[in-house]
Amino acid sequence: MEKSLYNIFKAFFKVGTLLLGGGYVILPIMQCELVEKRGWIDNDELCEYTALSQSLPGLIAANLSIFVGYKLKRTLGAIVAIFGMVLPAFLCIIILAKILEELINLRFIQGIFWGVGIGVLVLIYLAIKEIWNKSVTGRFTFFIFFIVFLCSACLKISPAILVILAILTGIVRQIILSRKKPEGSE
Amino acid sequence: MIYLQLFLEFFHIGLFSFGGGYATIPFLYHIAETREWYTAQQLTDMIAVSSITPGPVGVNVATFAGYTTSGILGSVIATASVVLPSLIIVIIVSKLLEQFKHNEYVKSIIYCLKPAGCGLLAAVGVNMFISGFNLIGLVLFLILFAMSLKKKHDPLVYLGISAAAGLIIYLINPNM
Repeated sequence: MEKSLYNIFKAFFKVGTLLLGGGYVILPIMQCELVEKRGWIDNDELCEYTALSQSLPGLIAANLSIFVGYKLKRTLGAIVAIFGMVLPAFLCIIILAKILEELINLRFIQGIFWGVGIGVLVLIYLAIKEIWNKSVTGRFTFFIFFIVFLCSACLKISPAILVILAILTGIVRQIILSRKKPEGSE
Repeated sequence: MIYLQLFLEFFHIGLFSFGGGYATIPFLYHIAETREWYTAQQLTDMIAVSSITPGPVGVNVATFAGYTTSGILGSVIATASVVLPSLIIVIIVSKLLEQFKHNEYVKSIIYCLKPAGCGLLAAVGVNMFISGFNLIGLVLFLILFAMSLKKKHDPLVYLGISAAAGLIIYLINPNM
């Protein structure tokens, strides 16, 4: 499909509409809509943008949309992508704002909340699987994954600190690699 | 002036919430305590509602707070403010990446950031799993999981089935 601004808007409006259950769900939705259905980006790029989106301040769904929008059509693409992603959320809340309290008091809605929560877990699991395939490629990357996972899940260390440590690891790794190179080994 | 206050508060959230997902929630509770835009109870309701409305919770609460304090214009300002820092920062980073994408150091940093990002995502998944754990939930999770093994379905399929299952389970046993 042609990557015109109108098509970018339409694609992100759809992504934004399907984005139920919190920001991370954008990952499996983008895999489905942008990688598989439209072929605008590949899984490798999506994995890279996800890592960068988590490393920068801001909502992850917003960062990811802007990265992909920029990749497709530079600054204008980024603006159109974020506008399309946010618009369904905006319209929906404007409509619901007045009846929010009545809505929350409808008890059967609690059942739906609970169910969607489980669906979101499955989607996050599927997204992790794809990202894993593209990021954990050897012993060294598995080590980074494992340390970050433990520090974040068990020790509750802030993601900001873990991201900075990962960046430092990348720099140190390159310094070591470039020292080795003159001796003929990669 | 209310519009400027909305801009500043939500720009602040967009600029300092870090790590995605539910990182915005402490900031949003802080606003509930210091401003009279919404109460803590309204925020709790809002977070629940945002799981069945489109969009990230940060965007949903920004729209809601803007709308309840000063109508449509307020909601436009608050919503735009929460994503504006992302727009500026990500565009700058994208431009830098284009320029330096063949730099060995940049490549090495991305090589290490990818598994780190995966680890952060896995931690979010595990925490969500533990916090909402019960037997019916586990069964539903396993059924959806088994479905995904056979064929990769559209994300909406999982959300639709899980929402319907939640509703049915509630109707059978309202005290779940």
